[in-house]
Amino acid sequence: MSALFIAQKVGQRYGARVALDDVSFTLERGQMLALLGPSGAGKTTLFRCLAGLQRPNTGRIELDGADVAALHGRERRRIGLVFQQFNLVPRLSALDNVLAGRLGHASAWRGWLRQFDAADMALAHDCLARVGLAGHARQRADTLSGGQQQRVAIARALAQQPDLIIADEPVASLDPGSGAGILELLKSICHADGLAVVCSLHQPEYARRYADRVLGLRAGRVVVDLEAQRFGREQIDTLYDGVIHEPQF
Amino acid sequence: MRSWKGWVGAALALAFYVVCWRVAQVDLARLAEGLPKLGHWIASAWPPALHELPLFGERIAETVAMAAIGTTAAMLLALPMAVLASRNITPWPRLYFPARWLLNALRGIDSFIFALLFVAAVGLGPFAGVIGIALHTWGSAAKLLADHIENMPMGPLDAVRSTGAGRATAIGYAVLPEILPVLLSSGLYWWEFNVRASTVLGVVGAGGIGLELKNSMDLLDFPRLLTIIVLILIVVTALDQASSWLRKRLV
Repeated sequence: MSALFIAQKVGQRYGARVALDDVSFTLERGQMLALLGPSGAGKTTLFRCLAGLQRPNTGRIELDGADVAALHGRERRRIGLVFQQFNLVPRLSALDNVLAGRLGHASAWRGWLRQFDAADMALAHDCLARVGLAGHARQRADTLSGGQQQRVAIARALAQQPDLIIADEPVASLDPGSGAGILELLKSICHADGLAVVCSLHQPEYARRYADRVLGLRAGRVVVDLEAQRFGREQIDTLYDGVIHEPQF
Repeated sequence: MRSWKGWVGAALALAFYVVCWRVAQVDLARLAEGLPKLGHWIASAWPPALHELPLFGERIAETVAMAAIGTTAAMLLALPMAVLASRNITPWPRLYFPARWLLNALRGIDSFIFALLFVAAVGLGPFAGVIGIALHTWGSAAKLLADHIENMPMGPLDAVRSTGAGRATAIGYAVLPEILPVLLSSGLYWWEFNVRASTVLGVVGAGGIGLELKNSMDLLDFPRLLTIIVLILIVVTALDQASSWLRKRLV
């Protein structure tokens, strides 16, 4: 039985600059991977490649045996994306935003008329309830707080019933309290539903607390790949040149 | 040096206005001669002629209806055209510039000119006016919407696309809800604008109250003219109030 998500020798250059160099890792169902690294280490490029938004120059990324760069149309629903800026449709209700996650399953006319069948509606309500926003279904997305908007975005990804959720710095625009709640939620979804989660982060202590594994990137190369409990001071120094001092470690 | 340039600039500006004054044949003496005539007409316009009110009502209704149909048609056509003329979401980037040029052309030609053409093509009557209004408003409305779309953040559209939705479905889901209020509120504005504009369409035979306005002027029937002008003012003001009230609720 091979792993759910496999990155094999992924490389990306932009002209002479090497953004990603020989990045490889594997991820099992029910596992949450934190992606760490200083700015410019290649996290954003890796996110785009993992999400299938961009085909890397070299190497291959597979989801359950399928090349993610070749996923298109409805197949893209297998990967749920969560963005730093939430990316909800501001004037739509929380529920309608979650229902967007069903567009890869439902027929196109339902999307145009925003008329979903009973099963999709029930699933969307469930997803909202799971992120703790059952009471906000009819509220317009742009009236929710940042933390609530990110929860709606996670519910949208959940509604896709994906195999994998990729979150690109999902807590970078949130206050620490909301941020911790979001990561707690991703972790519990990952373990309860048997999804794989990849989450890029800026804070090493979050990675240690919420992730199962930590992948550290530096100048496009993997310099750290180990279980989250074993991630400590030494690895932080390797990643960030010792410029981060955190009392927790 | 600086003041020397200033003097030359001032002299050029002065020369420009002198030439314009000549070309435009401004003649204040003629205005002074004409004013008493105007005063006499205004005096003779009272009391307004009310016996033709039912006819005027019909003509005003024609004007409002022309504007309503023309504006609505323009709004419906503007929606797909705006998608085509938005650099960031157009499905056919090759058609971006042709679409923009077409919109600029439609916008640059007044509905009055279009009405002139279509009176010749489809005959006298309000239908020619409807087409004139629709074409000009189409260009203006689609350009406004396209500019709005080009300034929208694309994150929500990308996110909806990534859920496995098709391109058209994603645009309908993520872009349409954001531009619909703009479409409706600008549509109300255009309707009101077109009611005002289409009063002159009657002059070229394209239907509406403008026809009666021109007849009265030709016959120097000032009580009739006064009635028509007051009616136009009442309708335009009422529409202006109603549409601004509605627009406030929409946004």
